[in-house]
Amino acid sequence: MNTWLIAATALVFAMAPCGIACFRGTPIDRMVGLEMAGILTSLILLLLAQGFGNPNFYDLGLTMSLLAFGGGLVFVRFLERWL
Amino acid sequence: MSAATIAVEVFLGIAVLNTWLSCIAIIVMPNFYQRIHYLSNVTAISAFSILLAVVIEEGWGQATVKTILTCVVLLLINAIVTHATARAARVRTLGHWSSDPHEQIPGTRGRGDTEAERQRKENE
Repeated sequence: MNTWLIAATALVFAMAPCGIACFRGTPIDRMVGLEMAGILTSLILLLLAQGFGNPNFYDLGLTMSLLAFGGGLVFVRFLERWL
Repeated sequence: MSAATIAVEVFLGIAVLNTWLSCIAIIVMPNFYQRIHYLSNVTAISAFSILLAVVIEEGWGQATVKTILTCVVLLLINAIVTHATARAARVRTLGHWSSDPHEQIPGTRGRGDTEAERQRKENE
């Protein structure tokens, strides 16, 4: 296990506070936990790609960051208008 | 252990520590508007610490280019999503987005108040 995989594991455990944030407060308060989890997932995928030494895996981090943007924006617009 | 290895470990340590602090902050901070600040902390400091670690380890190559792309996307997109989230919270609270010159924001003295109005409110 190299440094990159150790850092990725440490960031996986940082998902726990995001999970707690997703269970507390109003729906818009919970969005912060969801957005933070999306950012963390992108960073974890970057670290895993480097840790496993396969440059093709970097596309996963990039894709995740773009999908987190779309998902977050749709959720926020929904919360703003209808919920 | 070479200097490059130490530098990589230091940058990864900064990234992990900063991410952990930001994640704890989003459950500790009392106010929604205070919490959303910590999203940009992660995309600015942690992502670019990881980028520096990748650059030191790999040099110029496919991995570096893709990491730069991911970090730039995260940085730009986070600003948009944070703005949209703050806007949604404001619309849900007030029912509108537009500013009001006499609006009383908790913790501030109110936007648009003149010095005379501020004095009058303090005397009341």
